Amino acid sequence: MALDNLKGRVAWIFEQEDFDVDQIVGVKNIKIKDPVELGKLAMRAEDPEFADKVRPGDLLIGNHNFGYGHPHYPPMIGMRQLGIGGVIAESFSPGYWRGEIAMGFPQVECTGILAAVSRWDEIEIDWASSTFHNHTTGATLPVEPLSDGDRLMLEAGGLVGYLHARDKEERIA
Amino acid sequence: MGYTLAEKILARVSEKAGVRAGDEVLAKPDFVIAYDFPGYTDVIFKQMEEDFGIDKVAEPDRYALFIDHMVPATTTQEEELHQLTRDWGEKNKVPVYERKGIGHQVAAELGYATPGAFVVHFDGHISQLGTFGTLAIGVRRHLLEAFVKERIKFKVPETTRIDLTGTLQRGVTARDVFHHIVRVLGPRGCRGQVMELGGDTIDNMSLEGRQSINCLAMFTGAITALMNPDQKALDYMKPRQRLDIEPLFSDPDCTYAARHEIDVGALEPIVVVPPSPADTRNLSEVTGTEVQVGYLGSCASGRVEDLEIAADVLEGHKVKDGFQLNVIPTSKEIMEVAAERGIITRLINAGAFISSSSCDYCFGRMGVMRAGQRAVSTGTLNVRGRMGSPDSEIYIVNAAAVAASAIEGRIADPRPYLKD
Repeated sequence: MALDNLKGRVAWIFEQEDFDVDQIVGVKNIKIKDPVELGKLAMRAEDPEFADKVRPGDLLIGNHNFGYGHPHYPPMIGMRQLGIGGVIAESFSPGYWRGEIAMGFPQVECTGILAAVSRWDEIEIDWASSTFHNHTTGATLPVEPLSDGDRLMLEAGGLVGYLHARDKEERIA
Repeated sequence: MGYTLAEKILARVSEKAGVRAGDEVLAKPDFVIAYDFPGYTDVIFKQMEEDFGIDKVAEPDRYALFIDHMVPATTTQEEELHQLTRDWGEKNKVPVYERKGIGHQVAAELGYATPGAFVVHFDGHISQLGTFGTLAIGVRRHLLEAFVKERIKFKVPETTRIDLTGTLQRGVTARDVFHHIVRVLGPRGCRGQVMELGGDTIDNMSLEGRQSINCLAMFTGAITALMNPDQKALDYMKPRQRLDIEPLFSDPDCTYAARHEIDVGALEPIVVVPPSPADTRNLSEVTGTEVQVGYLGSCASGRVEDLEIAADVLEGHKVKDGFQLNVIPTSKEIMEVAAERGIITRLINAGAFISSSSCDYCFGRMGVMRAGQRAVSTGTLNVRGRMGSPDSEIYIVNAAAVAASAIEGRIADPRPYLKD
């Protein structure tokens, strides 16, 4: 099973290094569990119409060490509710990365991404060739290939699917 | 070419002759540890049964559960969660440790930190078992994998080596050393790697101080911390360790991703300014700032030497009227030692409010602040809302500085209080 390419517009560029994702919904809202409510709250402080502007498949861009701090799950639950398809960042904080990959949420490291996009550019991640394409500007960049474990987990839609896939594999072996 | 300690441990638990950073292995954790927390253990127990049809774990001695958050319970839901954990433990014959202290510390006391062992938890502060040469990783939700499968898929990490040199001045503690490392290397200085520490400062440091540093590895971006176990570490763990395995050490000719030498001889007490765990400065930049709350405790700090230096600072002084000083020893064993040595009595006499060991003061469940309040804290984290209102503030300092600030009601340098 191959991963579908990530394809969409740049919904937001997080320029801050070491970005604390809790700020996406605000620390005051971090205990909310309802995905619909979280979707409405996402980025509201920065762009009150964010939820209306985003289309399914749109992508987020991050700077270095995206997800640093003490990341909670609700911000990206809200983003997925809006149809956000993944995050492309210069680099990720390992704890945040693990947590979201386990949810089946695609993420990819791409050196130089920040300088290569503007908001609402049409972009794509081609997994097969590990390449980033900016269809608006024509720019391309190599991306860091996923580890086997992470790729299998994304293909299976997250941790539970991945463990079932391993069950199957081990039965055959 | 030699191997790092992390590579050697992962080779052992994946039954390979040698593995290198970047290799992906199927590793069998020696121990799988968790504390009960809604969304983690309750979900894992449910998924095991409903999604994977697993009734019981195969090797119960490899698992350990701690009840250290929400202790004591304040709602029926919390007590129900604890009961679920106790029942699951009983059914699975998995030990459940309750009211013994903060699990990351108690795991060491109970010998899960066997030198050379591989341990997983969902919480990253388990990295402190690295004090004893144990590779302990917080894998977040991936912990389910270790409950469902014998082996977990794991990418062998690179290691960055940090040698610390110099003798710490009085009033400067391991806690300051750690935050100074973040200041020097930055919040991604060891991103995705193992932070391996050594050097004469570490050699001369107590195990407690080393645990304090290793506990916080995540704020350098590291996935865990390791130290090559010296005689002090091996002697502590020998009567406690749960596995009969040989300790492992990094080879002198192993490959590090980077090497740093940091001199801490002239280090002053530091402060981590809210709301970022990376905004480290000299304490002198914020002394005089009014504070109303002090928290001395957590899995990072709250051990005997932290309690003792706080008592030394408070000697002959009182906590300022209206200041709330909460002191929570990290474990029951630590509290006993501190009590026997008279440290607890000295803290009480000075006006500290002492509680039995619990994680609850660190994450805003107890000792909660309202908007506008400000705390000095030895907790793990200073992000907004961590200890109550998102409009309260947390200044991370060492235990001695918490005590000095409690006397003055303002952020204060502990060193003048420690002159013999």
